[in-house]
Amino acid sequence: MVAALGLGAVLLLAGCGKDDGAGVRSEGSASGSGTGSGTGSGTGSGLAGQDLSGTTNDQLVLKAVADYKTWVVAEVDALVADTAKFTDAVRAGDVAEAKKQYAPSRVRWERIEPIAGLVEEIDGAVDARVDDFEGVDDPAFTGWHRLEYHLWEKGSTAGAKTFADRLDKDLATLDQKMKGLEFPPAAVALGPAELIEEVSEGKITGEEDRYSHTDLSDFAANVDGSRKLLELLTPSLQAKDATLTSEITAGFAAVDKSLSEYANPDGSFDLYTALQADDKTRMQAELADLSEKLARIPACSASRADRYARRPPHRSTPGQARAAGLPRVGGARVGRPRRGRAGRLHLRRGERAGPGPPGAVPR
Amino acid sequence: MPFLGDHQPGIDTPAAHFGLLAAFNLVSEDRARLARSLRDLTDEARALMEARPPERRDTAYPPAETGMLGPGGRTDGLAVTLSVGASLFDDRFGLAGRQPSELVRMPFLSNDRLDPAQTHGDLLLSLSADQPDVLLHALRQLMRRTRDNLVLHWMLDGYNRPDAAPVPGRIDNRNLLGFKDGTANLDITEKGLMDELIWVGADDGEPAWAVGGSYQAVRIIRMFVEFWDRTPLNEQQKIIGRDKASGAPLGQDRESDDPGYGDDPAGRRVPLDAHIRMANPRTAGTAGSRILRRGFNFSRGFDNAGRLDQGLAFVSYQRSLSKGFLAVQARLKGEPLEEYILPVGGGFFFALPGVTSEDAWLGQQLLA
Repeated sequence: MVAALGLGAVLLLAGCGKDDGAGVRSEGSASGSGTGSGTGSGTGSGLAGQDLSGTTNDQLVLKAVADYKTWVVAEVDALVADTAKFTDAVRAGDVAEAKKQYAPSRVRWERIEPIAGLVEEIDGAVDARVDDFEGVDDPAFTGWHRLEYHLWEKGSTAGAKTFADRLDKDLATLDQKMKGLEFPPAAVALGPAELIEEVSEGKITGEEDRYSHTDLSDFAANVDGSRKLLELLTPSLQAKDATLTSEITAGFAAVDKSLSEYANPDGSFDLYTALQADDKTRMQAELADLSEKLARIPACSASRADRYARRPPHRSTPGQARAAGLPRVGGARVGRPRRGRAGRLHLRRGERAGPGPPGAVPR
Repeated sequence: MPFLGDHQPGIDTPAAHFGLLAAFNLVSEDRARLARSLRDLTDEARALMEARPPERRDTAYPPAETGMLGPGGRTDGLAVTLSVGASLFDDRFGLAGRQPSELVRMPFLSNDRLDPAQTHGDLLLSLSADQPDVLLHALRQLMRRTRDNLVLHWMLDGYNRPDAAPVPGRIDNRNLLGFKDGTANLDITEKGLMDELIWVGADDGEPAWAVGGSYQAVRIIRMFVEFWDRTPLNEQQKIIGRDKASGAPLGQDRESDDPGYGDDPAGRRVPLDAHIRMANPRTAGTAGSRILRRGFNFSRGFDNAGRLDQGLAFVSYQRSLSKGFLAVQARLKGEPLEEYILPVGGGFFFALPGVTSEDAWLGQQLLA
């Protein structure tokens, strides 16, 4: 709740996110500085003791957070059902059907991946790549990509049924935990950038679905999840920085246009291997540019004290949230290579050290 | 280093200890976006070279700059030079009629094995400074400003050993073959020589926008250093044409001595196919083919055969490619040194003229 107040407080400030990003050295220019322009908001100095939830803008933010949770919970429900079609096919030994259901089963997961990362033991179990393990035979290598390996590399469901059961079980746990999870508003602010970072790190490189090459399906789902968050944040963001909002909207439109070249009428996407080099290059630039813009949204989570006094932040920033033991949002670090996986890797090691979940074998 | 001037910095300015080349391709085919990218590059290059203090942002924002150079900032002699490749003049931007007459896509030349992944590019940034961190900082800042349109195509960095006080005809710098490299380079303090051999002039038959610019030849030249190190010293010296230790032309005493080709027509001292003799025969007829070299040595790991991936990032500036680099290259064709080196990348570029007023930007005349 502290984080909620902090986010609400800053979204109130005129000029939040006003810096245009491109003008990184634009001191002296009229549009260059995003700092200090909020001094006229008249909401007092310092965060402590203020009741910020009563203002209209606070309600916009808190409504976005609440709406996001509602949406995510529904997505996870559907995720469980989608994945059951996939795992049922594996259990039935139907390789062709399982291959067909693989990419669709992942769509809702990829849409909500950062927030699902709050339930970290699930994240590592269902979506870790083989890179996080010593090899494909590591019994701790579970989840979609383990099954992907069996289906595409081995062309068989032999030995895969146990991993299908495990995936269902893990997602059921996710479903249950997500309903009880309190969504930190900072997660909503960081989410759009996190999802685009996922695309830039894993999908555009073809690393995510290296056996099936269905990366572009994940790509689209990440973008959809990011856009959903942005849509929910738009009412508050628009009021504070219409320019940034329109730049972000344009950024999504550019990515959508590029991706649409590879979309099929039935909602599926061409394989990664069909991606043309120049299209990939253009998408990389579009994603990088969008990331620069989205990186300015979480600035809205700064506390007033931080903003005005320039002393070390004492609450509400992502870093402080971590220091305070609040859940980390999907790693919440932008730019670290394979950020999500690195987080999972730490977790896997922890699991091995301890009793571990079913299927994890300490070494 | 001053940013404003008829010519861009980094060409006829003193050599620096470190160099970095970064070639980019443009994503957008929109001419207005190209103009915006060039304006942003100009502003950022100038800010970096003048150590303009970065904007101070709230700590909740990503910081405006890397912070690598500390709060005070440093320049360490940073020079940023922007060049354009032949591909900029294709059908994307409506610039086909404005192409410098000799700017073509670099062809395969003698001994080349060009790797497309490290050859050509729409734009080239050539950075130099006396500390490597300044270069890495500058690259990140320049890329950050232009992410929507510039995509990195290849890059390479390395070092030099410039003299504290330049003395024409005597240098400290050695290449990775162990030989002095740059002894006979043009003296940048001779402005008349620069005008004669480096800068495109008003009467050259080039587009008006190109006057004050310079053709830039870039060659990523791999050196097979292990093989070279197994070669007898006298053979190494005959291949190059200089004494390895002193740098003197073979048969002479000092580095700055004239090789005296006139009284050695048979190549008894300096073989006729020695590198320095083929590159610069020092005749009246070849004086016009002298070029200004601004390269650096590079080392970037090793290949899948376990051989070190080292070499020379050759960079030359000249008023005319045909009279300069290509004339030198034609003379060098078949030189014994070819056995030890392999050009694997680079490209032909044109270094834009300088920016002469506060509001102007690199490439403004080109796009006008």
